[in-house]
Amino acid sequence: MQTTLQSSTTFSRPESGFTVFWRAFRKSRTGLVGLIMLAIAIFVALFAPAIAPYENAAATSVGIADIYQPPSAAHILGTDDAGQDVFTNFIFGARVSLTVGFFAAFISIFIGGIFGLVAGFFGGRWETFLMRLTDVMLVIPDLPLTVVIVALTKPSLMNIIFVIGILGWTTTARVVRSQTLAVKSRKFVLRARAIGAGRLHILTRHVLPLVMPILVVQAVLAISLAILNESTLSFIGLGDPTAPSWGQMLNFAFGRGAMSVGAWWALVVPGFGIVWVVLSLTLLGQGLEQVLNPRLDTHHLMPGRPKVGTEAQAAHPARDIILDVRNISIHYINEGKPPARAVENVSLSLREGDLLGLVGESGCGKTTLMLSLLNLLPAAGQVVNGNVYYKGRDLTAMNEDEINNIRWSRISIIFQGAMNALNPVRTVGDQIAEAILKHNPAFPKNKVPERVAELLDLVGIASAHSDHFPHQYSGGMRQRAMIAMALACNPDVVIADEPTTALDVMIQAQILELLDELRKKLGLSVIFVTHDLGVVAELCDRVLVMYGGVTAEYAGVDTIYNEPKHPYTQELLKAFPDLTKPKKKLSSIPGYPPRLDDLPAGCRFAPRCPAVFDRCQMEEPGLHVLKNDHHVGCHLAEGSK
Amino acid sequence: MNRTRAVLRKTAWSFFTIVFVVVLNFFLFRVLPGDPARAGIRDPRLNKDAIEVIRVRFGLDKPIINCFDSLNPVKVGNCAVNPLETQFFIYAKNLIQGELGISYHANRPVVDILGERLWNTILLIGVGQILSIILGAAFGVFAAWKARTSLEYTAVGISLVAWSLPTFWLAILLLFWGSTMGLPVAGKATPGMSSLPLLQQWGDIAKHMLLPTLTYTIIYMGEYTLIMRSSLLDVLSEDYILSARAKGLNTVQILRDHALKNAMLPLVTVIAINLGFTVAGVIQIESVFSWPGLGSAIYEAVIRRDFPVLQGAFLLIAITVILANLLADLTYTYLDPRVTVD
Amino acid sequence: MKKKMLFTILIAALALSACSGGGGQAQPAIVRVGWAGSPDTLNPGMAILTEAYTIFELVYDSMYELNLDGSFTLSLAESANVSDDGTVWTFKIRDGLKWHDGQPFTAEDVAWTYNLYKDTPEYPYLNGYYTPYFDTIEATPDNEVVLTLTEAIPNIESQLVFLYILPKHVWESVNKTEYENVEMVGSGPFKMAEYVQNEFVRLTANKDHFSMPPKVDEVIFQTFENQDALVQAIRTGQVDMVTEMPNTAAESLKADENIELVVGAPLAPGVTDIIFNQLDPENCPEGGICSGHPALRDRNIRLAMAHATDKQQLIDVILLGLGNPGLTLIPDGLGVWYNSSLTDYEFDLKKANQILDDAGYADTDGDGIREMPDGSAPLTFRLNWPSDSINAPRMSELLAEMWGAIGISLEPQAVDPDALTAQCCPAFDFDIMIWGWASDPDPSALLYVYTTEAIPTGSSETGYSNPEYDELYTNQQVELDFEARRDIVWQMQKIVFDDVVYIIPFYDANVQAYRTDRFTGWITDQAKVELSDITSLVLIEPVK
Repeated sequence: MQTTLQSSTTFSRPESGFTVFWRAFRKSRTGLVGLIMLAIAIFVALFAPAIAPYENAAATSVGIADIYQPPSAAHILGTDDAGQDVFTNFIFGARVSLTVGFFAAFISIFIGGIFGLVAGFFGGRWETFLMRLTDVMLVIPDLPLTVVIVALTKPSLMNIIFVIGILGWTTTARVVRSQTLAVKSRKFVLRARAIGAGRLHILTRHVLPLVMPILVVQAVLAISLAILNESTLSFIGLGDPTAPSWGQMLNFAFGRGAMSVGAWWALVVPGFGIVWVVLSLTLLGQGLEQVLNPRLDTHHLMPGRPKVGTEAQAAHPARDIILDVRNISIHYINEGKPPARAVENVSLSLREGDLLGLVGESGCGKTTLMLSLLNLLPAAGQVVNGNVYYKGRDLTAMNEDEINNIRWSRISIIFQGAMNALNPVRTVGDQIAEAILKHNPAFPKNKVPERVAELLDLVGIASAHSDHFPHQYSGGMRQRAMIAMALACNPDVVIADEPTTALDVMIQAQILELLDELRKKLGLSVIFVTHDLGVVAELCDRVLVMYGGVTAEYAGVDTIYNEPKHPYTQELLKAFPDLTKPKKKLSSIPGYPPRLDDLPAGCRFAPRCPAVFDRCQMEEPGLHVLKNDHHVGCHLAEGSK
Repeated sequence: MNRTRAVLRKTAWSFFTIVFVVVLNFFLFRVLPGDPARAGIRDPRLNKDAIEVIRVRFGLDKPIINCFDSLNPVKVGNCAVNPLETQFFIYAKNLIQGELGISYHANRPVVDILGERLWNTILLIGVGQILSIILGAAFGVFAAWKARTSLEYTAVGISLVAWSLPTFWLAILLLFWGSTMGLPVAGKATPGMSSLPLLQQWGDIAKHMLLPTLTYTIIYMGEYTLIMRSSLLDVLSEDYILSARAKGLNTVQILRDHALKNAMLPLVTVIAINLGFTVAGVIQIESVFSWPGLGSAIYEAVIRRDFPVLQGAFLLIAITVILANLLADLTYTYLDPRVTVD
Repeated sequence: MKKKMLFTILIAALALSACSGGGGQAQPAIVRVGWAGSPDTLNPGMAILTEAYTIFELVYDSMYELNLDGSFTLSLAESANVSDDGTVWTFKIRDGLKWHDGQPFTAEDVAWTYNLYKDTPEYPYLNGYYTPYFDTIEATPDNEVVLTLTEAIPNIESQLVFLYILPKHVWESVNKTEYENVEMVGSGPFKMAEYVQNEFVRLTANKDHFSMPPKVDEVIFQTFENQDALVQAIRTGQVDMVTEMPNTAAESLKADENIELVVGAPLAPGVTDIIFNQLDPENCPEGGICSGHPALRDRNIRLAMAHATDKQQLIDVILLGLGNPGLTLIPDGLGVWYNSSLTDYEFDLKKANQILDDAGYADTDGDGIREMPDGSAPLTFRLNWPSDSINAPRMSELLAEMWGAIGISLEPQAVDPDALTAQCCPAFDFDIMIWGWASDPDPSALLYVYTTEAIPTGSSETGYSNPEYDELYTNQQVELDFEARRDIVWQMQKIVFDDVVYIIPFYDANVQAYRTDRFTGWITDQAKVELSDITSLVLIEPVK
């Protein structure tokens, strides 16, 4: 649905892996905060002797009066159960805790990484064995294991690092394996195999670099878990009391009655250290995750941007115009960047019972235009000008409740790719029934299945299938079901957004036929969005050709086919196989549609136009109205009648 | 049919894992140093004969398996002994009969100790899980719905901090706070309440549960919030949500009827896996608040090196986690019609 | 929807419990005791923990009572007579005694119980130590018990005091080792009412007890696994008395006007000891590794270390001052048995250094650590302690510093208690350990630890061997005259003190507290402090 945004990202050769990474990472605020917090902790650990006011663990001449002293000038964070300076121990504790974290994580990542790589890359028995082992280890609670192993050895820091490390590899192994599997099937790896590169070579040169980022994220999480685990072990009395980590400080404070004497500083300070480091790592992990696995930061429930440009355009005077779009302009707002002008100054009128074709390449703003008709634009989208009149009422001025009454009951949409447009965990019949009940709450409940069956029957699906889930349908059936759903509330207008794109030719034809038939039978008005001019020819009454967000040409179907005036329309027609002239060579238009956030200065089609001349590079053409309500957005059409 | 076979395979695999754990569980505790007959006890009254009597009582005088009298230090023994007379087979036989041996410390069958404690832990984990799932899911939904607003940042920030808290530390701080608020700080109930009406007893238990449950909820809520949020964010950018909007459904309807169930699916798996990790948390919470559950039993067993209890608890937990994972897998299958268990 | 339900239930439950607190009817006098433990088992033959013995003491009777001043009084018997050769004891049991279930309590029960303890090898703590001198035990029709010993012993009271009398009619038919004895039919001042292990023990008063009818109606012992919670509980009045607490709580509890703090020697005194492996490898017992540092076999080294040990600082930092400096394994808590004539080695670094200089331990390589006189090895000792001790690591820090001042360095390492047992004895695979003992009221058990005989059994931790001492040990076991036996015991302490077999940093004190606004009459003026002792619990009554 968000073709506009996606198309605007181009593929370019990265300068260096790190620069690219850093640029992406810099944008993640959580990641940056985490990095800074971690840097502070590492700095403190490295320069502990310089920062700490006292020597580490100096017990000299400690007396009874020094124990659990509250914060004072001499001890800014008070003293602990042995009369030592809490701040000093806190600073030095960072060393021990971070050491445990880093080394234990290294062990986990090393083991998990190797297991995951081997299992994912070599497959076969190794994979079965290693993954089964991972599954088993994953379910075994690790604390008792830790107890046994610690008891087996001495509770020294080395052993604790070792134990924590050795028990923490399972998740890493799993994640690395699936990443390796994904990488393995990528083209360049397959190619490297085909040209006979050695397995080890492929593994180290091709697979490892792509698995590495995942390992880094896992490592960050493993460090934080290791630090938490060490503190837990210390708390249970399994730590190394001679290595004064934060966990050990807590152990002493807890075991030697800090709370009873009200010495909160002995408990709060080391705990704060743990929370600080773990939090920093978690934030860092989140930041890295965002870089590696960028998620669209918008979703369909985020409130849209309010319309700007309140200047109302007059509605089309003709009475039989059911849907009238007046000079609509839509921008996608990108923080800190010029907006992407996805649709500009487009007008169209849909007559009752008509079928209007909306044609253009992907990324030319068709879908954006259609979504704007029902206020369904993504959060970044904003109507900056123009109006949409449905039977004289301005849809762009409606609030969410008002438009909800129009949606589906008056105007419905058949989405492209019905697989994704249907909820996979609810039955098809259920989803159709939902639409009926939403807009007609009084509809008798027991009649609903009947009505669903009727609708499915209308699109040629046996009513027995109504209890099935979308994945049990074939592609064509899903598209039919989508149509049935669109018709559920007897709408006046149906917007069909490339309803046949993903289907094979035979099914496409069937669906189109069905749509046309239903239109005639039910008296629907239809807007048919497609990139295929050929489809339009047979069905449409009028055609709107869009290019780069603007109207290229808008006219009756005959005019478009017989007297195309815009070079783009002409090129499109050339690309369309004419059955009457089978020998004619098909041509496709060289080049790509423009990026909507980086439009050329003059005519948007100029870079690809075969008839381009100087003026096109500088001046954007206006929309010229020729005879027969024929609109053309090209300098060439100026003056012709 | 395919599904039935898959379910059978999963079940068989879980069974195999349990067998593995049973075997591991035995040997793990046999490679420990020291003499369990003197676990944690130093008493000059205990002479050599007495120690031998204890060893015999716990069956420690028998060879561990054929050819090995002991594993720490490794002592090679007679290979011709009757395998049924070895510690391993006695352990296996007892296990099949539902016996986990006798506690070194408490002179009671481990099964009784664990049985007594299990329910208290189930109560704590149950209420804690339910609360943290409900609250976590609610915050997660809220954060995802209000994505890119300060509300989301606050919810995520709080969750991350909650996730970073060492459990026992939080428990201690809450205990400190709770005691100044006059809340009970130890135990499951005020002793000697058994003659009071049932409702009053429940009220007393609820009061005692407040602090441990609060700790539990805070610790796990953060994680559930994060998972729910990210899962819901994924779902909400799916096309069928746009369809639902186009259908004219309002936000609440969309969340309820289209987003939540789909977004809950990852949570199901996490909850099951979490059950294993919960053990560590429960040990800390129960021992701080003297909650008489499995966790504090494990804590005491660790301190006293009471291996039979540790071994039994370990087995019980491992089996529970394995079964919970199986259950989660099957639930997932049931919830998500797309999945046909692989 | 579900969420709302749950909250409602929770809130309803809370509200309800809030109401329940305020009922003001004539309430029974219930003493709530908070303690950090719980009995390990209620089967007297199998129990080890003092918590179990506390309960036995309250619910059962035994032939003698141990008083808080360390003396014994005859309890179940009206009279005790011993034959001239000291081997036949005749106890006349009081008439008309009853078990809690109403059955008569007779000499038959006593004899049966003593035979049970004697003949059950699965009762290792009783059988091995308290009954080895028992030959025959019989009940006579006159409600008398005749105990015949294999040889005369001086300490019959301490041998019998922990042998609680069990009801024959209950115990006859049960499995002696597996029986958990949760119902606990006894004859003592309290009856078992309810018991959940690790949660609580609830006892009700046996107002018909022949000698000590309690004034309160109930005693509830509640387990707190966390000592800080225990302190909070007494502060907020959730319990009326606590049997232990962190020493840090002492100061702040003292300040609380409703709480009275008591500090003193415990009934079963604890000893913290620093153990030197001084076993001569030539005497290495079977299964021993005997890897001790040779320097520790030299008394000069141990003496220098004793002079370099600032016990007061150890007591201050580790116990916050709540303990006494120790001399030998026999603690001051054992009363008359404690040799109070010994004076401790003074803390004097100069003297300590002098001793080492004179003995030829010089720092030849200038690294601050002395070497053996032959220059072979530096005086670097491994220092181990059980990893479940929270105080030992602190002690090791302080010791490292103190002994560092005389050129001795330490390699500190906590070790799992089991592993430490394995390392300790009779393996002797260590240099120095910090550990401890709990003691019996009779000194014999702890004196045994120093004997040569104890080396192969694992009871000797030092490997100390002194024929003179061994002979004295045998003598005190059979010396029937109290004064004479005491003299031998004192002499033995002098020997091991002079030989610096151990350094005993301190004897732990008991720190307990009770609320003054709840019950009054606690015994606090005795040599030993034990508020949960029966003598206190039968005396206290509610504050009016």
